[in-house]
Order: sequence, then C-alpha cells, then structure tokens
Amino acid sequence: MKSQYISLLSVILALGLGVSCMEDTPNYFEFEKYELSSLDEDGGSWNTLLVGEPTQISINEPEPISAGSYVTELGELKEKMSSISADEKDAVEYWTNNPVLRWNELALEIAAKYNLIPGPNADGSYTLPNPASPEGPPPFPFAHPPYTSRMLAYLSAAQFDALVVVWHYKFQFNRPAPYQVDSSIQPAYPKSQLPSYPSDGASVAYVSKEILKTMFPLEQAYLEERYLEHLRSLEHAGINVRSDIDAGIIVAKEVVDVARQRAASDGMNRAQTPMALSDSIANVAFDRFGWKWNNMESPIRPVGLTPLFGKVRMWHVPNVEEVRASPPPAPGSPQFEEDARELRQYARNMTGEQRRIANWWEDGLGSYTPPGHWNKFAKLSIVKNKLNPLRTAKVFAYMNTAIMDAGVACWDTKYYYHYPRPVETIQGFKTILGTPNFPAYTSGHSTFSAAGAEVLSYFFPEDAHQFQAWAEEAAVSRIYGGIHYRFDAVEGTKQGSKVGQYSVNNAKKDGVF
Amino acid sequence: MKKLYGSVLLLAFVYFQNIVCSHAQLPFDEIMMPKGEICMAGIYEVGKWDQYWEGGYLRRNANIGTLTRQMVMPMVAFGLTEKINIITSLPYISTEPSGGTQVGQSGFQDINMSVKVDWLKRQVGKGRVLFLTNAHFARPVGRYLSDYMPFSIGAGAPELGLRAIGGYKMDNGLIFRVAGAYLWRGQTQIERDYYYQNGSVYSSFMNVPNAFNFHAAIGYWALENRLRLEATYMSLNCLSGDDIRSYNRPQPTNKMEVSQIGVWAQYYIKADKGLGALAYFNQVVSGRNVGMASVLGMGLTYQLKIY
Repeated sequence: MKSQYISLLSVILALGLGVSCMEDTPNYFEFEKYELSSLDEDGGSWNTLLVGEPTQISINEPEPISAGSYVTELGELKEKMSSISADEKDAVEYWTNNPVLRWNELALEIAAKYNLIPGPNADGSYTLPNPASPEGPPPFPFAHPPYTSRMLAYLSAAQFDALVVVWHYKFQFNRPAPYQVDSSIQPAYPKSQLPSYPSDGASVAYVSKEILKTMFPLEQAYLEERYLEHLRSLEHAGINVRSDIDAGIIVAKEVVDVARQRAASDGMNRAQTPMALSDSIANVAFDRFGWKWNNMESPIRPVGLTPLFGKVRMWHVPNVEEVRASPPPAPGSPQFEEDARELRQYARNMTGEQRRIANWWEDGLGSYTPPGHWNKFAKLSIVKNKLNPLRTAKVFAYMNTAIMDAGVACWDTKYYYHYPRPVETIQGFKTILGTPNFPAYTSGHSTFSAAGAEVLSYFFPEDAHQFQAWAEEAAVSRIYGGIHYRFDAVEGTKQGSKVGQYSVNNAKKDGVF
Repeated sequence: MKKLYGSVLLLAFVYFQNIVCSHAQLPFDEIMMPKGEICMAGIYEVGKWDQYWEGGYLRRNANIGTLTRQMVMPMVAFGLTEKINIITSLPYISTEPSGGTQVGQSGFQDINMSVKVDWLKRQVGKGRVLFLTNAHFARPVGRYLSDYMPFSIGAGAPELGLRAIGGYKMDNGLIFRVAGAYLWRGQTQIERDYYYQNGSVYSSFMNVPNAFNFHAAIGYWALENRLRLEATYMSLNCLSGDDIRSYNRPQPTNKMEVSQIGVWAQYYIKADKGLGALAYFNQVVSGRNVGMASVLGMGLTYQLKIY
C-alpha cells in the first residue's frame, strides 16, 4: 500500500520536472569578448553630426610615458587591478571593450521604464508629464516612440561625435595603452594597438549619462552611479590610466553642450500641443479631405500624441514635405474597402504565425518601442562583425538619426492627413493590440522599421535581406494586429526607406564604412 | 456520504478558476471516493470584475469596463483504491471586456492531474481527526497566450503543487478544515522577446512566481447527509514578482495576491443514483494585481461504480 503511494507521487513529481527546465531570462546581452576588427586610424576625419571639426575641441597633449606623472598613474592602475573586488570584476566583464553597446542597452531599459501612458484623473481629465516638475504624477517623460526615437538619436549622435574627436586625438598623440607600456599588465579585454589617450570609454560614459540625464531627469542618481561604475572599470580592466579618462571627459563635455543646445531648440518642446491647436489641425484636415481621426479611449484623450512632432528639426532630410506620403484612399473608396475587408478577415480567422508576428512586433506600452527593437538588431550585427567603438557609434548614430527622421516624417504625414483608425471606420471592429493615440496613416512601425533597415543594410550588406524582411514583417504586423490598414503599412515602408536613404547618403561621405 | 465526493472535489477545483494568478487548483477537502468509483461532472461558472488592484491601488479602467469570464469545465475523478484517488479536469474559458476596443480571449486552459492520498482518520473525542495530501500537476494545452492580460485565460505555465489537508469532522455533522499548499510554477512562453520586469528582460519566457495557497472552511451536513453547506475562506499569495505598473497591463510575472470568501451548497437529488447538483458564490475581498471578482458557479455531478 505504502509503495503504491510513493510510486504515484513519483509519477507526479516526474511530470513536474518539466517545471524545472527553465530558460534563461537575461537582463543584458552577453557576448564573448572580441578583438576589434579594425582600428580606423583615419576615424578622426569622419563627418560629425553635431560638432564641427574635431580641432574645435582641444585637449592638452598627454605627458609622455617616460614622465614621472605617467609612471605614477601606471602604478596606481596596477595597484587598483591587484586589489580588485568581485563586484568590480563583474563590472569589468559587464562593460566590455565596446561600452557603447551597454549605454545603448541602458537607454532602452530606461525608455521601457518610462514608456507608460498617463491614465485619466478621477474627473476624466488627463494630466500630461511636465519636464518642469518631472516627479509628476505622471512622471516625466512618457517615453513613447517619437520621444524614444529622439532620445536615441541624440544619445547616439553625441556618442559618435565624441568618438570622432577622441579618435582624432588618439592618433595625433599615439599614447600606447598601459599594457603596451608595461608588459606585466594583463588587460581584461583582448589587446589592441588603439592609442589610449583620450579614453574612448570615459568619453562614451560621460556623454551617455549626461544625454540620458537630460532625457530622463528622474534617473540622474542612477545614471551617475552607472557612470562611476563604468569609469572605475576602465582602470580595473587595465586599459586606461587616469589622465586618459580625464581627457575623454573633457572631449565629452564639449559634445554634450552642443547636443543639449540642439535638443533645446529642435521644436520638441512644442510637439505636444494644447487642445485648441490640436483641434485646429484636425479641422484643417477635415476641411481638406472630409475625414479626421478621433481618439476612441474612455475617457477620450483630448489631444493626440505629439501633433507637432512632424515639425521637429530633422537630421538628414532638409524639408519634411520632401518625404510626405501621397494621399491615402478615402474611406469608402474601393481600395479602402478592400483593405478593410482584409482586416475583418484577420480578425475572424488569424493563424498562429500571424498572431506571433503581431505580438513579436508589438513594442507597445512598457517596451523599448520599435526604435528600440532596431537598436537590438544593430547591437547583434555590431557584435557579430566585431566592430570597434567608433564604428559601433557610427552605426547607431546614422540609424537612430534616420529612425528619428522617419518618425518626424511619419508624424507630419499622420497629422497632415489625420486618417481614422480601423476601430473608427469599421463597425464593431475589435483588435488584439491596443490602438494608439494618433492617426493611422502612415504606420509608425513601418516607417521607423524601413528607415532602420535601410541604414543597417548599408552597414551590414551581407544581412540586408534579413533587415528588409524584418521591416516588411514589422509593417504587416500592424495589419494583423488590427490597428493599421495595408495602405498605412505599404506607404509607411516606402516613406521609411526614402528617409533612411538620406542618412545613408550622409554616412557614405566618410568614404570607408 | 462517500458519493458526495465528486461534487466536493469539483467545487474545490473551481474555487480558484476566477483568479488570474492561479489556474486549475487541487481539491482541498477531506473526502475520499471508494475504490472503483468514478465521478463525472460538468461545471459552468461566470465571474465578473470592474475594479482591479494595480499593485495595492484599487482602480477602474473604462477601456476594460467589466471583464466577464466564463468557464465550462468537464472533470473526472476516480477511486483507484480506498486510499488513493485520481482527479483530472480541463476547463474551457472565455473572457469579454465590456469597454474598450480590444477583443476577449477564449480556449482550453490547463489540463490538471492530481493524486489525493488519505493518510489518517482517527476518532478523537466527539469526532474524527483527518489528514490527507494532494499532489497535482497542471500544464497549458492548446495555444492560448498568457501575455494578453487581463484578457488572457490563464498564466500559461506548468504548475506542480503539494497540499496538506487537516480536518476535524464531528459526529453531529459539523466539519472544520484547513489546507495549505505550495505551488511551484514554471515559465510561460510569450510571443515577444523583450519585456520589462524591474529592468530589461531579453527573453520570450516569463517566470511565473511560486505561490502559497491557504484554504479554510466550516461545513455542515444536513437533511440526512443529502445537503452540504460550507462557508469558505481562500487566499493565494505569490512569493515573488513585480507589480502592475501605472495604467499598464498586467503580466504573468506579477506578484498576485488574493483573499476571497465564499459559500457553497450541494444537494443530492437521488442519493442512490449518484446524481447531484451544486452551486457556489465567491467574492474577492482583497488583493494585489488581480481583479476584484465575484463568481457564481453551478454544476451537475454523476457518480457510478465501474468495478
């Protein structure tokens, strides 16, 4: 009798073993340390996005390695390396020799944290996040896709510009890395011939934390903590002495100033309009086309998301009207009816694959948004191709500025045509995804993604077909999700590719990469 | 009295069905079914909530309105021996919000298999002291997506539970019972490969938190053991997990907690033929990251001897 109990219990427990086969749930991308695939000695001559010539930012010539002060710094470095704690060792492993990737990940994480739409107050009104009192409620910012695209554009552009300047001085001064000077130093990362003054890591760390502080004012303490952790890791890894780090920070400060000035005057502070202006934008569209988009939430949100994001200063496109999509088919027209029929059909009968695509690309509230999704793709290709920090920053900079431009172009089109969403035009229509708070045409996912794909295809031509396939899938995912018509997706993809091409043309001007 | 077994088990199962955090629970009562007897049952349940706890904050959301959850659950229980019973069930669930523009979900939820063992029955004073255990395993069937919360029909993860049940059954028909269970939950596969849980997670798997489940009841047998009435209390507490973020949707990683009170009644229409009916009502009284649900259920049971 007893043995019967035991055998039965063991059957149950054996079944339960399925529970213990757990997949990893990593918080960041773990990759093998790699040797940089190029040094780009001429990197200091590459075109910058924010600052002028690298020589406009000056730093002191470093002390020679024979100088007493350098020898002292080297001694301090060795002392720090020999007394490294377990946590400090982990930090060295975490930051790697390409910390641009980590700061990008931190940016995406904070974006996901702040990508929460403000809920209604008890009286049915809504309070908007206010940069003047960021604590809220609701906290500032709401890191929606336009906000996040712009945040990433400034972050990546500033990182890139800082590294161009850093590269300029690295190869002007040619100070060897500590482990090249003292063979008793074993660096944590693969050795390279990259000069160490000024420190690229320190420059990236400073630029990143300062740009992110501007974009996420409530995260200042957290960013400062990560910044200091990163700086300490540079010495612990044996790749930079103190004066390398200090010089990197001097370069970074200048770049941050320029970036902040541009951000303060690019028009973003006017993008979220008062209700009267938002209504007049809708009425202009209604007079022109005979339709307008309406928010369908309860209670109704009085103003759509950033109606004037389409007026924000672009990076590569001289005039947003150059990339405005052509007019969409009118509601009730044969093409509209055909695309509406398609939506009803998916709503009635969706395959597992269609559902998977809709969800995989949702990148909705609480996520890092579609621009974040493309940053993840970029990261994977960067590691696969073992890019150095300068090239890494260039990929992110041209991609993220293109993605922001795509957002600006898309938002211009959205509020120019003010096209209603499927839940408004199709009687009784329900969706698996939430319908966003802005007009349908063109699709943001499609536009962001096509721009991202265009730029990544330039930098990583061997994977171009994959990027294009992803962009197509991102576009169609919104149709499966029931929140966009096919013409939103098709025209959005065209628009994004077109915008992306402007960025690629600029990226090409450096000659190499 | 033994013939009441099936219904009681069923009831125990369905108690938890309205709680997003838990799916397909184990029986927590004291009754065993005789060797060779089988009980088949069908339960219909409807639960509704129009307020939910976002972390500890009780709120409404007009874009959900009232969420209605309906369940139909077939179930079979079998007396392998006098001391060992096996129970299995498979609920079909559908959800429907009254507000907003998003669709509800429907489908078969989790198949649940459990083994119940009777360890002790001893006369002490004017009643009998009872001790039993349950072990259960549940896993999702079909392709329902746990990540459509609050519209999804379950947590989408395998679950292994071990429960101890103790009771004192008085000769005058009164019964006092408590049960405590530890629930190990596995992961649920979602269709995104990035999500936020106090930080970035680069995975298409979510860890569903383990939980402790407590149950207490005071029952009374009336009308010559043909009517059973119980007043119940149930709580379930996830032991880890995050809170729903401000005005955001829930997700399976949430630390869900719930306390509920309830009543139920069952009646044996023909005591000799094994046909029974039951009805119950449960009300969630406090919680965290769950809906404040009211649930009404009813069912029919039929019990027969097969060997």
